[in-house]
Amino acid sequence: MKRNKSFILLLVIMALVMAACSNNAAPKEAEKPKDNTDKPVETAQSDVKEAPMLTALVTAGTLPKLEERMPVQSDIMVQEVVDEIGTYGGDWKMPWTGPGDKWGVGMATEEALFRFNKTGDKVEPNVAKGYEVNDDSTVFTIHLREGMKWSDGVPFTADDVLFYWEHMLTKETFGKKIYDAYYSVDPATGNKALAEVKKVNDYTFTVTHKYPNVQFLERVAIDNKWFFAPAHFHKTILPELVGDAKTLEITKQWGYEDPKVFLVETGYYDWIHYQIPTIRAWVPKNDPNSDQFIYERNPYYWKTDAEGKQLPYMDRIVMTKIQDPSQKLLGTLSGDYNLVTFDSKDFTVLKENEKKGDFRVIPWTQPTWSSAGVQLNQTTPDPNLRKLFQDIRFREALSIGVDRVEISEIVTNGLADPIQASVPEGVIGYQEGWAKQWAEYDPERANQILDELGLTKRDKNNFRIFADGSDLTLDIVEGSPDNAAFLELLKKYYENLGLKLNVKVVDSGTQFDLKYANKIPMHTENISVANVAFRPDTLVPLRVITPWFGHYGLYSSSGGKEGEKPEGDVALILQLWDKVKASKSVDEINQYSNEIVKLHMKNQWVIGYAGPTPVLITASNSVRNVPSNLVWADEYRTLGHGHPSQFYIKQ
Amino acid sequence: MLQYIIKRILLVIPVVILISFVVFYIIQLPPGDYVSSYSAKMSAAGDVMTQAEMDEMRANLGLDRPVYEQYFVWMKKIILHGDFGFSFNFNKPVIDVVGQYMGLTIVVSLVTMLFQYAVAIPIGIYTAVKQYSAGDYFFSGLSFIGMATPNFLLAIILMYLSYTWFGDPLLGLFSNEYVNAPWSMEKVFDLMKHLIIPVIVIGLSSTADLVRIMRGQMLDELNKPNVVTARAKGLSEWSILWKYPTRAALNPIVSTLGWSLSSIFTGATITAIVLNLPIQGPVMYNALLGQDMYLAGSWLLFMALLTVVGTLISDILLAWLDPKIRTEFRGN
Repeated sequence: MKRNKSFILLLVIMALVMAACSNNAAPKEAEKPKDNTDKPVETAQSDVKEAPMLTALVTAGTLPKLEERMPVQSDIMVQEVVDEIGTYGGDWKMPWTGPGDKWGVGMATEEALFRFNKTGDKVEPNVAKGYEVNDDSTVFTIHLREGMKWSDGVPFTADDVLFYWEHMLTKETFGKKIYDAYYSVDPATGNKALAEVKKVNDYTFTVTHKYPNVQFLERVAIDNKWFFAPAHFHKTILPELVGDAKTLEITKQWGYEDPKVFLVETGYYDWIHYQIPTIRAWVPKNDPNSDQFIYERNPYYWKTDAEGKQLPYMDRIVMTKIQDPSQKLLGTLSGDYNLVTFDSKDFTVLKENEKKGDFRVIPWTQPTWSSAGVQLNQTTPDPNLRKLFQDIRFREALSIGVDRVEISEIVTNGLADPIQASVPEGVIGYQEGWAKQWAEYDPERANQILDELGLTKRDKNNFRIFADGSDLTLDIVEGSPDNAAFLELLKKYYENLGLKLNVKVVDSGTQFDLKYANKIPMHTENISVANVAFRPDTLVPLRVITPWFGHYGLYSSSGGKEGEKPEGDVALILQLWDKVKASKSVDEINQYSNEIVKLHMKNQWVIGYAGPTPVLITASNSVRNVPSNLVWADEYRTLGHGHPSQFYIKQ
Repeated sequence: MLQYIIKRILLVIPVVILISFVVFYIIQLPPGDYVSSYSAKMSAAGDVMTQAEMDEMRANLGLDRPVYEQYFVWMKKIILHGDFGFSFNFNKPVIDVVGQYMGLTIVVSLVTMLFQYAVAIPIGIYTAVKQYSAGDYFFSGLSFIGMATPNFLLAIILMYLSYTWFGDPLLGLFSNEYVNAPWSMEKVFDLMKHLIIPVIVIGLSSTADLVRIMRGQMLDELNKPNVVTARAKGLSEWSILWKYPTRAALNPIVSTLGWSLSSIFTGATITAIVLNLPIQGPVMYNALLGQDMYLAGSWLLFMALLTVVGTLISDILLAWLDPKIRTEFRGN
């Protein structure tokens, strides 16, 4: 009898599982009526100036009235909308892989002191109300918005800027060196001098440079857009002010181990911590390690639309944790996410499902030089290989020995043009005719050049070897397998030229270490730069970062103590960069920047086999006011350039 | 018997210490460390760290110290304070990270196990009793397919079908609106709905295994003299089946039960990644990938401990179930 009982138990469990199966469709139906109740009860358009969820709080007495939360009328920032004035409500639903993915939401919600304008050539006031600058660009007077408040209601004043400058930035508490933007350069000697920051009154401060710093605002907009911090919060945690023991105690309270790590997290990556006041449109609400990380509207947000309605329109940002990038795609197709960005490799599948998934694909251009290409490390340690890489004829041979039409058809679905790595049209630094340079497929000529270079001997596999009989292998070290299709094609073409190509895929951390150790002879990183004068990292060897200049960068960053001394055109680029930094006018800067780009055109250290591809912003059809045809660049803070506070969800 | 158990428990201690050292050493083996994988991730988002910043971070996290020193500090904290260290990825103590995922992991694993046994044992018995019948061929064929299909592939297929038929690939364990909601009947239903695919996918290959084992064991037992005697004495077929062959055939299944202990607490890994399940497997995988060594180390240690304990439990269970083994103990 006992046995029979356990058998019945088994049956019951099976029945339960079955019941769960058949329950499949039922909850879906039940969800529908719920959506209707969410609709805002808004009828008279123009007198509703704040979101219903905030009105409820005001009525309940837990939140001050709108006028008390916003800056004084003249200092409120009016944010232009892209298409139409929106309505309140709805969630921005997006996937993320967890706190390691913080920059996606970070850039989208970032509020810079000065932000780039639509075309990206100038900055415009954002957190700042405005500025004045003297004639020789040494004194910048910056005005803030009177009555503006942090998300906890504490006023935002010049003290927040001064505090950040004095106690955080110049003390380097959050793991970053004082940004380059704050140094001005003596045109005569090249000496650097740190700026001085002074408070004028509660809503005005000055930044004074010893030498002209024409691009100060642009460079701050890139290096250090958050030139402020909530002083009232950081006062309670900085070791300088509360003592090491107290900081350690707070560190432990937050669940952290080391105070330095804690200060980096709170001082630099502050937007994912709900404990820290912010001036962004949305405020984090829970632990970022949760399965769902949620931001809610900032009741003290200081921007309105043209009708005076407080932004943002969308109530929340809901970020669901995913384990694998394909879930982003799958979730978008099934409507789980309503505003997501993809790169061009998902173009076909997105377009195929546009109707079914009820979304639209909005392409933004990128200031990238190519979408498939190789960089040759000019300082690679092997002397034979380095000589070869530094020989411009070798780069020409590699360039013309590959059929770009096939590469762009297979690797980019034909989205990219079959062109050389070059500054795209419309981006600062564009050069006529560069896209066509060495872009024609001509394997015979390529072989001929390689023969001329003395690579005539072959090994038993018919691969070319160096004249001294040593082995010639081109090594590409990749941090991910994403480029497999391109690399396979590249291998085919290089081997047709008699060049042995080895592709090593390592994990991205190892690849990073190898880069610093100068052990990456070739790499497939694509150059992306909106304006070399704003961010020189990819084109000017100032530190170890971009594969083509390898340890030339170390030479600059170590002041000549380590690394390889740049010579020839690379040395020239560095001289031009010094001139850019010491320039007295924008024209001068543009002229020198242009010369830097021209040297790149002449040398083609970076060889491109397919032109740039767009970034695909995929928005549900109910998500409105998403601009099209903007430039997607880190400098402009990617999606943040579209000003998400004015995105809204049509009910 | 008691002596045997005590002896086994004492043996566990050196084994676990040895494992902990090997584990820690192996985690350190691959090139790079947490800082390099972290800075690579940050640089992909345009936030580039300089060498000096990386060195400082290494010093802050204690990663610049020699391996044995890191090991001793780690072990000391575990033994003296029960502190398993700090997860760099999560910026939280390891214990908290493990705790966050434990509940759902156990739910998924237990439901999966129930599914396995509930499906496999009856089918195993049926296929053995009705050997070479149409039903036997059907289930045997099915179980071979189940054994041969990789889990994650099956996961992808089921997700595809779910997406094309219902418009929802049923990713994760909850629908979006329930993830942060407090527990309610609706949330439980939502969980059950989302559990179907993971349970089938994770459970299928071992279910297939179990069917085969059960069938083989039953076939061995069905014609043993004790069964024939029972039948001759006129006992009904059902009670014969339950009383003798099934009980004996459960032997190998029980002896492997203990091993599933560690898999209950970790859950599946690749399948969980494909299905976006918030359970321990993917957390562990990412810890290994990102060289989040204290999290990874604690996990491997924990799993090793569970395996050792699980084996012990299996032995005890077997002794309880199988009189032959019990007598062997006594004979000692």
